[in-house]
Amino acid sequence: MPKNDFFIGWSPEMPTIDRRFFLGSGVALTLGTGAIAAGVASGQNPPQPGGWNMGEVRDFKAVATAEPYAMLRTTDVDGTPKTVLLGCQGKCGVSAKIGALSGKAVTVKGSLIQRGPYAMIAVIDGLDWIREDTEGNASLAFPAIETLGEIKLKGEILDTKCWFGAMNPNQGKVHKACASLCIRGGLPPAFYVKDIRDQQALMIMTDRGLAHGKDLLEFVADPVELTATAKRWGDLLLVDGPVSGIRRL
Amino acid sequence: MSHDYKAVQWTPFKKRFDLWLLAGIALYLVIFVALSLMLGNDTASLHPIQVVIRALGTLAFLFLTFILCIGPLARLTDRFKPFLYNRRHLGVTTFLIALLHAALVVMWYHGFSETNPLVSLLISNPRYDSLAGFPFESLGLIALIIMFLMAATSHDFWNANLGPGVWKALHMGVYISYALLIAHIALGAIQFEKHPLYVVLLCAGSVTVIGLHIFTGLAALRPAQSSPLEGWLKVAPVDEMEDARAKIVRPTDGEAIAVFRDGNKVSAVSNVCRHQGGPLGEGKIIDGCITCPWHGFQYRMEDGRSPPPFTEKIATYMTKLVDGVIYVSPKPALPGTKLEPTLIPLESGPNQGKINA
Repeated sequence: MPKNDFFIGWSPEMPTIDRRFFLGSGVALTLGTGAIAAGVASGQNPPQPGGWNMGEVRDFKAVATAEPYAMLRTTDVDGTPKTVLLGCQGKCGVSAKIGALSGKAVTVKGSLIQRGPYAMIAVIDGLDWIREDTEGNASLAFPAIETLGEIKLKGEILDTKCWFGAMNPNQGKVHKACASLCIRGGLPPAFYVKDIRDQQALMIMTDRGLAHGKDLLEFVADPVELTATAKRWGDLLLVDGPVSGIRRL
Repeated sequence: MSHDYKAVQWTPFKKRFDLWLLAGIALYLVIFVALSLMLGNDTASLHPIQVVIRALGTLAFLFLTFILCIGPLARLTDRFKPFLYNRRHLGVTTFLIALLHAALVVMWYHGFSETNPLVSLLISNPRYDSLAGFPFESLGLIALIIMFLMAATSHDFWNANLGPGVWKALHMGVYISYALLIAHIALGAIQFEKHPLYVVLLCAGSVTVIGLHIFTGLAALRPAQSSPLEGWLKVAPVDEMEDARAKIVRPTDGEAIAVFRDGNKVSAVSNVCRHQGGPLGEGKIIDGCITCPWHGFQYRMEDGRSPPPFTEKIATYMTKLVDGVIYVSPKPALPGTKLEPTLIPLESGPNQGKINA
C-alpha cells in the first residue's frame, strides 16, 4: 500500500481515495440529513387552532369579576354576551389585581389570545391595565350559574392560556411543566375532553365555586378521569368539584 | 503531539469538514423549520420557538447517533478514519446544539413565571415512580451535563493532564449520555407525537449503534492462536505479514499487542496509543514510525518512544522467528524499553528486502 493511501489527520495532504470518499459521503450525509429533517418535520402532529396576537394591544370594555378566576363579561362581534378570561403576559393570573373593580364595568388593556369561541386577554404589564368605566354597560353582568348534573369524563387537565393559543403544541407530557407553572401561577385550569368521534369540549375547572390552583398540580397533563358537577355559566361550561374527584388513568 | 497546545490544529481537511458540518446543520434547521411552519394555516400553526426546540433536539440525537457509529465504522473501513479524526468537532458541535435546545426549553416551558426556571425544571414533574409519567426532562439534563464534561475536556490538554486512562473513562460517558437521550425521547416527545416515523428513527438509531459496537467488538475479541511454543503467542507466518503494517495479537491477560513488520525487521508494541487509546495495530509505519490511525501520533518501532521533541512511551514486547512463523512474548517490557527487532532472512515472504520508504 503506498504511503499516500494512509490518512494522517495532521498531514496537509489527504489521500486521493479518502478525498473522494469524503466528498461522496459528505454529499450523501447532507442529503440524508435533509431527508430526515423533512420526514421528522412532516410527521409532527398537526398544529391546533388558536393564536396570540401579541402585537395588537387594545382596550376591551366589559364587566369584570375576580372569582373564581379573573374574567370579563363582554359582547362578541355579533352582539351576544361573551366571557373572556384574563391572564398576565407570562404564566400568572390577575385575579388578585382586580380588587374593588370586581363586578364593575371596566376597560382592560391587553392583547387577545383566541381559539374558536374561547378567548383570553393577556393584559399589559404595569398597574394601568384596568380602570373603571363609569359609562360602561351594566347589562353585561355575569348571569346566574345553572347546574347541569353529575358527570364522569376522561380527559386531560391543562391551562387555558396555552390551549387558547399562547403555545402550540399546548398539551400532553411535553407541555406538562408549562401547564403546571401556569396553573400554579393562577391561570384558569380547564378539563379537555376529546371523544372517539373527535368531538372536543373544554370546561373550566372550579372547586365548589372557587378557584383550583396547586391542588391540581399532581394531575396536570396526565390522562385522568374526573367526577364532578357540570354547570353552565353564560357561554362557559364549568366542571365543579374537589380534587378528590380526579383519578389518574 | 503533546509538545505544545493550540486551540485547534487546523488543516485544510479539518476546515472542509467543518464547512460540511455547518452546511448540514443549516440545511437541517432550514428544512425542519420551513416544513413545520408550512404544516399550519391562517388559524393554526406551530409556534416558531417550539419548532426550533424540536429541530435542535432531533438534530442533536441524529448527530450523537452518527458520532457513535464512527468508531466501529472506522474499524470496518479505513475510509472512515477521516471522520474519526474530526469526531471531536462533531462532538462539541452536538453539545452546543443540545445546549441550545435545553436553554430554549428552560426559557420557554419553565420561564415567564415567579418560579425560578431551573427550580421548575426539577420540581414540575415529581412522578419518578411511574414509567409513563416519568419526568423525561431530568434524563435530558443529566445527558447534557455528561456531554458538557466531555466537550469541556475534549482538548488534548485535558487528555495529557488527566491521563489517558481517566480521560478515556470520562469520555466513555458518551454511551451513558446516549442511553439517557434515548430514554429522554422515548419517555418524552414520542409519548406525544403519533407518527410511527419517530419510533422507527429512534429504534433504527439505537439498534445501529448497538449492532455496530457488538459486531466490531466481537471481532476484536478474537483470542490469540494456539502456540506450540510455551510462553509465546503465535502471530502469523512471516510471508503473511504485510510490509509497514501490523498483526494484532490478543493475550488472555493484558493489552492487545501490535506486531509490525518494517522491511525485514519485526517488532512488537502495545496496541494502545497513549493519546486516546487508538488501535496502533490498525496504523501504518510512516517515515520509520508507527503512526496511529486515529490522530497520527507516532512511535519508534524499536523502543515505543515518540520521536523528539515528543515524550510519549508505550510498552514493547520481544519477538522471535521460528520455522517461518513470528511469535511474540505476552510479557510487556517497560514503556520505552528498546528491544532488538527480529530480522527476517531476505528470502522470506512476498516483501523480501523491501524497506519502507
